Amino acid sequence: MKVTAALPSGVSALFFDSARQRRGLEENLVELLEGCGYGEVVLPILDYLEPYEPLLSTGARGELYRFIDRDGEQLALRADFTPMLARLLAPRLPSMELPLRFFYRGDVVRYHEERPGRQRESYQMGAELLGVEGESAEQEIFELFLSMLTTCGLPDVRVVLGFAGSLGGLATACVGDDGAADFLAAIDRRERRILQGLDGPPGKAVREVLEDGLPQDLEALGSEMAESIRAVANLREDLQHRFPEFQLNIDLAEFAGVSRPDDGFRSTSARSYYDGLLFRAYCAGGAQPVGGGGRYDSLFRSLGAKVAAVGFSLSMERVLAVPETLQRAGRLCGGVTP
Amino acid sequence: MIRMALPKGRNLVSAKAAFRRAGLSLEVLERDERKLILTSPEDDLELLLLKDWDVPRYVQYGIADCGIVGTDVLEELDGDLLVPVCLLEGRCRLSFIGGEGAWPEPGSQVRLATKYPGIARKVLIEQPWGAEILELSGSIELAPLLELADLALDIVQTGRTLTENHLYELKVVREIAPCLVVNRASFQEHRGPLNDLIRRLEAAGVVE
Repeated sequence: MKVTAALPSGVSALFFDSARQRRGLEENLVELLEGCGYGEVVLPILDYLEPYEPLLSTGARGELYRFIDRDGEQLALRADFTPMLARLLAPRLPSMELPLRFFYRGDVVRYHEERPGRQRESYQMGAELLGVEGESAEQEIFELFLSMLTTCGLPDVRVVLGFAGSLGGLATACVGDDGAADFLAAIDRRERRILQGLDGPPGKAVREVLEDGLPQDLEALGSEMAESIRAVANLREDLQHRFPEFQLNIDLAEFAGVSRPDDGFRSTSARSYYDGLLFRAYCAGGAQPVGGGGRYDSLFRSLGAKVAAVGFSLSMERVLAVPETLQRAGRLCGGVTP
Repeated sequence: MIRMALPKGRNLVSAKAAFRRAGLSLEVLERDERKLILTSPEDDLELLLLKDWDVPRYVQYGIADCGIVGTDVLEELDGDLLVPVCLLEGRCRLSFIGGEGAWPEPGSQVRLATKYPGIARKVLIEQPWGAEILELSGSIELAPLLELADLALDIVQTGRTLTENHLYELKVVREIAPCLVVNRASFQEHRGPLNDLIRRLEAAGVVE
């Protein structure tokens, strides 16, 4: 075979300045995480496939690089840190002191058709908080996420907040159980055709969700969900004051494809384990979110452990694709900026 | 200012008509200029004129905030875009095309010419016959006419080309509409102007 410098699609190598810039930014993020009491965990890139089989959505299954090892075991390359952490920690939790605050960094490998911002090998940094009940955990992890974005120096950051399964009740009220999954998929694409024939308060609520991300009358989502969204609104308001440089918005349509595992709807998201608060950050010039996260208690529940869990991850490739971040990373590590 | 990608092909006429009925000027499109990026200050828009198949790419990569693209191209490229409304004008069909009596017998194997191999694979699953997909980039109707392929899967608008060449629209597989597509990140950044544009199109009765 002729030796060339070619790499498979969606994979990149970093040399010299590029490597220095990433490591420089990474070190600053590690300093922030450790300063907030988060300790590092290092995870393998190769794992058994079997423990993840029940956790995999159709989307996540299609992304996996899996193969049969020489000893006949089915193995998979790490495609997501969170389920791996949950699987490894769930059996150990009874003997561990909670809360647990940890962070990770490393590659995830996912098969993607060639799409904007979709690397097949992607370097992530993320943090997880286990064992803190209620809104204080969400407050802590969301604030840490925003602090990470501040450290990255990203310009014009827009953070979108939502709640897993928030539109399931409204969808059922509009089209019944059978049509709800397709209706949610249409909301996810903001298709206004679904407004045809929808009258009264449900129609008004769906229109407001499509346009503004949130119905004026939250009770249209059901009283329990309305309460959850009010909590998200309080979180948004509090953090908006503390991070005035960012624009924080609640947009339930942005997460219409994420249903809760026990909703009975088909989740169109590959990361289908979220069951509460959700957030995602975009920055100027970026077509893909630079990071996101949320609550995922049910992932641990499905593994036989009862613990509150909230976390997030950042895509370092997408963060460093922003010129302002590169310049900042260059300054931080003393490297040469491009 | 929103940057919009418009298609140079068959959907441009429908798009211009729809936007003008919604109150946009788009006067800049009538000037004989060779600028690659056109500015329409009265509409608060920047316009890119692109080949139909490039529109979703520019929008998906966030170079354009929104664009007009047919559902045929959209389905073939399978991108993650918002699709708030589709235009009522400029609709057509994606159909199997062939000569008289060309519809395959169950169990047979034919050659199918198309520029939509992704859609063809999906559609073929539902047929009682199989096909070798022959991907072509243009003049698809010529393939069954000159027996390069047994059938074609292509856009039919009026059917005049088919009639003049003794070809038949054998089966419609998709109704096709030009749609407004929006980049997800752009929607978060330009929510107000984009919602306003969509409302104006709705009020003009040119979309659904």
